[in-house]
Amino acid sequence: MYLESRRTFLKGAAFSVAGVAIAKGVFSTQAQAQEGVESKFTTTPKTLSFYPPLEQWDSFQELDGDDWKRGGIDRKGTSLESDDGILVHDYMIVPTACSNCEASCGLTAWIDKKTMVVKKYMGNPLHTASRGRNCAKGYATQSQMYDPDRIPFPLKRAEGSKRGEGKWVRTTWDEALSTIGKKMHDTIAKGDELSRKMVMYHVGRPNENGFTPMVWNTLGVDSYNSHTNICSANGRTPTIQWANDDRTSPDWANAKLIFLNSSHAADAGHYFQQSAGFIADARKKGAKLVVMDPRMSNSAGMADLWIAAWPGTEPVVYLYLVNRILSEGQVNREFVRRWVNWEVMMDNKKFLNKLVELGYIKSVPTKNDFDTFLAVLQELYSPYTLDYASQETHIPKDRLEALYDMFIWAGTAVSTYFWRATAAGNRGGWMSGRAGYLALALRGAIGPEGGTFFHHWHVISVAGKGGRATVGQGNVKKVDVWNELTWPPEWPLSTYEMSYLLPHLLTDKAWQDKWKARGLNVPTKLAVYAPRMYNPVWINPDGFRWLDVLKDEEKMELTFNLSPTWSETNWYVDYVLPVGLAGERHDQHSEATYPARWTSFRQPVLRVALEKSGWRAKNPIRATLEAHIKAGLGEVWEENEFWIDLVVNYVDKDGSLGIKQHWESKKHPGKPVTIAEWYDAAFGDNLPNLRKTAYANPKYKDAEYPVYEYMRDHGTWTEEENIYSAQERPLKEDAEGNYVTHGHKYPKAETTTNKRTGVITAHAHGKATPIGIEVDGKKMEGFATLDKKLDFFVEWLFEDWKWQEYSIPFYPRNEKEKEKMVHIVSHVNHKYMTEVNEQGEKNAFALNTVFRLPYNIHTRSANSKHLMEISQNHDPIWIATGDAKRLGFKRGDAIRVRIKDSVSGLDSGYFVAMAVPTEGVLPGTLACSHHGGRWKLTNSIDIPNGVQDNPVQYQKAPKDLSNPDFINEAVENSGAQAQHTPHFGGKLGVIGFGAPLASIEMDGKVGKLKYLEGLKPMKPWQFAEYNKDYDNVWWDGLSGSWQNAVAPAHPDPVSGMHCWHQKVLLEPAQPGDKIGDIHVNYENNFKTYQAWRDQLTRGLDENSTIRRPRHIKRPWVSLSDKAYAVKISK
Amino acid sequence: MTYAMNRELLTARSNLYALLSRLLLQELDASLLQTLRSDTSMLEFFPNLSTWEPFNRLKISELLDTHFNPDFSNLSLLHLIPYESFYMRDDQMVETGGANPVTDMYSQYDFVVDYDVARVVSADHIGVELEFMHHLVEAQAKAQESDDAQAVTALIEAQHTFLNKHLLQWAPHYLIAAKYEASTPLYHDACDMALEFLLSDNETLTSATIA
Repeated sequence: MYLESRRTFLKGAAFSVAGVAIAKGVFSTQAQAQEGVESKFTTTPKTLSFYPPLEQWDSFQELDGDDWKRGGIDRKGTSLESDDGILVHDYMIVPTACSNCEASCGLTAWIDKKTMVVKKYMGNPLHTASRGRNCAKGYATQSQMYDPDRIPFPLKRAEGSKRGEGKWVRTTWDEALSTIGKKMHDTIAKGDELSRKMVMYHVGRPNENGFTPMVWNTLGVDSYNSHTNICSANGRTPTIQWANDDRTSPDWANAKLIFLNSSHAADAGHYFQQSAGFIADARKKGAKLVVMDPRMSNSAGMADLWIAAWPGTEPVVYLYLVNRILSEGQVNREFVRRWVNWEVMMDNKKFLNKLVELGYIKSVPTKNDFDTFLAVLQELYSPYTLDYASQETHIPKDRLEALYDMFIWAGTAVSTYFWRATAAGNRGGWMSGRAGYLALALRGAIGPEGGTFFHHWHVISVAGKGGRATVGQGNVKKVDVWNELTWPPEWPLSTYEMSYLLPHLLTDKAWQDKWKARGLNVPTKLAVYAPRMYNPVWINPDGFRWLDVLKDEEKMELTFNLSPTWSETNWYVDYVLPVGLAGERHDQHSEATYPARWTSFRQPVLRVALEKSGWRAKNPIRATLEAHIKAGLGEVWEENEFWIDLVVNYVDKDGSLGIKQHWESKKHPGKPVTIAEWYDAAFGDNLPNLRKTAYANPKYKDAEYPVYEYMRDHGTWTEEENIYSAQERPLKEDAEGNYVTHGHKYPKAETTTNKRTGVITAHAHGKATPIGIEVDGKKMEGFATLDKKLDFFVEWLFEDWKWQEYSIPFYPRNEKEKEKMVHIVSHVNHKYMTEVNEQGEKNAFALNTVFRLPYNIHTRSANSKHLMEISQNHDPIWIATGDAKRLGFKRGDAIRVRIKDSVSGLDSGYFVAMAVPTEGVLPGTLACSHHGGRWKLTNSIDIPNGVQDNPVQYQKAPKDLSNPDFINEAVENSGAQAQHTPHFGGKLGVIGFGAPLASIEMDGKVGKLKYLEGLKPMKPWQFAEYNKDYDNVWWDGLSGSWQNAVAPAHPDPVSGMHCWHQKVLLEPAQPGDKIGDIHVNYENNFKTYQAWRDQLTRGLDENSTIRRPRHIKRPWVSLSDKAYAVKISK
Repeated sequence: MTYAMNRELLTARSNLYALLSRLLLQELDASLLQTLRSDTSMLEFFPNLSTWEPFNRLKISELLDTHFNPDFSNLSLLHLIPYESFYMRDDQMVETGGANPVTDMYSQYDFVVDYDVARVVSADHIGVELEFMHHLVEAQAKAQESDDAQAVTALIEAQHTFLNKHLLQWAPHYLIAAKYEASTPLYHDACDMALEFLLSDNETLTSATIA
């Protein structure tokens, strides 16, 4: 029995210690409990949104999360009291901005003062757009920073080796600057037209607002190239046509209807982290979410309505809405009357006759008043019925009706955009935005709270405006040459540069000869080619052609990539120059993410921490380089300082080219302008509210650079909020009788006002410039168009630029019109899906390639181990379950996806991908993101002149910001012969966490890529502690197929956009095929590029006098009239 | 009728509740472990521990870091759930809010659990309940010293009620499981002792209330 066996518990009375001393004492009385004891460190935060107050950022103590696991401070106390206590870090918190997409969310780097290590990146609560939050890519900045395979010092192709051979030597920044600077100097110094087209910069993600363009402007060359036309040209073209603005700027947070055309804002795309937060705010208040996308994205899955339109038919959805708005009396008459250019259209008889000729309307109207305009519209858009819309788009009727009801319900609070799948995917995708804005305009949803507005009112671009700090005072001449390699004559309306055609144009001798014979000075090679934060080989269509051209030392004489990490492109250049990531560089970066004007200030955080602790660089223009060497990050620099040093000390050392003055310090003549000098002027001279705030703050008002230092400490600034309907801002007048707009003064006496349209035009120097508009007696700024209103009718497109039939929003109403209006019919329209397989099954599909993945944008975040680990899904092919069943494909099957062009009819080859049957994709369409398929050709590289050549222990004092010995120790010879990376053992890993090993074969016509093995990360020689888990990599690294290389270039004839979607045929994989394999006929791809160019474009000809409409944006550098002028012989 | 326990019994009960509550509430600390190692009376309750060779050979920190604390984490955090509501509720949810029935009794005596000290998620943790018993016994001792017969009776009844309404309803399940799950003799013995002591003390209290 239990009772018999029990012990004598009376023994307990004999304890040497009384029970009260043993008990933990977990109880307090009610009264005691309320007293509470405030402790600096707590076991639980009071609120999850806690963030250290700004005044504590220079020194903020926080417990170490890992060490906490030993038992917490209740058991151990803290390291401030005992050696065994939980470790307390003393941080300096330095603000910067993320650089892993374009959104520029605020970041803060938490720098451990004792080790100079960034222990974590967190949000910046002062940033009014990102509001202290980040997505996974933001926090991953740390694993990019301490990536063991990041490039630690400048690398140069080994002498005697060929590009792509993989032989590299270590070089110095001085040597690289000397070689590059001399080549640039020698080319530019020739001074002839051609030479000023041959030094080319090619930016991927700019992530800054004007600094580098200003560098290129001062060089006097027209060779600033950007990736934009593979990204968003078709999204921008409608905005240019409607408002002469660069892009949309929706007010998500206050919208009643959030209408996502493609799943970009809330999933992964433009500004997604910020947009997703604003969209969540709106939904909390009752807003509806509609997603139009052939693929059921994450956003579509949680939307109130998902509508899957056949790719490229989205304009029909909008025109259906337009038809009903017009026919059901739902037009916001006041807005349309005041802000749509109906007068211009109704006064253009030629155009009205054209409408009749095209069969859009029955007869030319006899009146030209507003009601007649609306009547014309009603007739014009009456064919876009529910039946027609449903038939063309493949959207069920009830969904279209539900959309209309929501659209009307939301009133003027409809926020939308026109990016990605619809725009970047389709030929004529720009018409989607043209039609979409019409629906918005008719409802008055352009500009008000909760509506959709335009970019330029919501952005700050001052990075190139620090000229006051220089000898040249910012008086930079316009460039007077025009580069046909970036702005070819076939695409005069191209939104941005035709950058993805660079290798085609450089090798297309027939094209070069043709235009040379007609009088244009077309470059046939480049002296210097310098991509930056860009991987053109991998991301552009027709990748093998890029490889061919990059390898050709006659086409590209000297190449260098400003790149923090290895990439497919780097393998084929002459120099790889390591520049910094998000926390390692200076950028002024602003984006239109909500109706305000905010900017981030991206900074090299280790440098800032050092400088705030009293350190000063030995060479002020290499402060970031020196700081990174000192902190143990490697010989990693930043671009701002690189360009300034390059220009002042290498390209134009004696100032004879007139370039040096623009980057020479006014304060210290002869020396390059410093970061503090430049940005103090750039911010201070252009943002009056910021300047006022900085100077009013006792901490900064007496500082050497008050505005710079304010931005250094805050990392962000919001100049203006609540910017709605800004076109209604009064036209400013000064006391001297001038109108003042966009920084210019126009004497009132020299202006005229058009009584019909209200346009106020200034007449000066023989030019007429529209500067404002008078509506209902009120003088206002208006939009940036020539008629200062929203251009429903684009008169310049109709009159001067050969696209008469597309000068209003339109979509072919029948098959006959589709044949004629091929320019705005998607190349993957269902009409082209005609092929059947051997079994007679329908086998042509529209492949949607244009959607981002939330964890991995293009190639920038490639070797972040945290992002790599969560991105291992092999980027499959989404296929509708019915289609998969019909063709016999099961989940996980490898299938060949063969690309066939619907213009040239040519076969481009295939990629092998994994099938995933799903109900989440429109039948007949497929989805596979083109953000997958990274590769490398080796796991590591031997650098023969590594550590064995006189390693120098350059920093003797332990890294500790509070140690004067460390602070005072100088970095000697930061760009020269010192070895600043003493632990380097002679072997460099290549993308060890992110790309599997592949082999490549190519012969000028056919290219093949095959993966050989999965990841084998090298034992880290740098950042070893941070990467001690390197051998835990469980994933093989295969991120899909390099489908971009199979894709032929598809230049949109109007916008110049590369239209990413593909018509594809599916085949079962053949023996030996593996997922990831590609086989490309790039000879055919070249013919496809030529077919799109020759069959579809309407370029310049012998009647042309200018290269491009003068009033629309020609990005980056400012061009003279001479550059615009063109004379072409027959 | 008042039943005054003798002083020795009261001290023993108070000390045992205190010791058990401390052992089962949180990881051991160096000081208590040192006491345990040197106090032979205390050690008599841990027959397996006292004969476990590493107990006297290893350094205190080593014992804690490599043996006792991992075992404690396993028994109270990872694999077993030392909370009354987990055993008593049909949905097996731990009631972390004010609706936990155990807090009614704490409140009657003006007691509030200080969670920062306790480091538990709910007031019905076995260590907290045992410490509550310790306080009731201490209060009984004070009442006896003051010859407050009414208070003594009330406190004995309170202990009996709390034991039967709460601890005995579920703690044996936990203790039996923990005893067999334990990987160190310390927790094996502690659980065994707690089980026996609770049953024994219930008899003591039952006799006292009947008397």
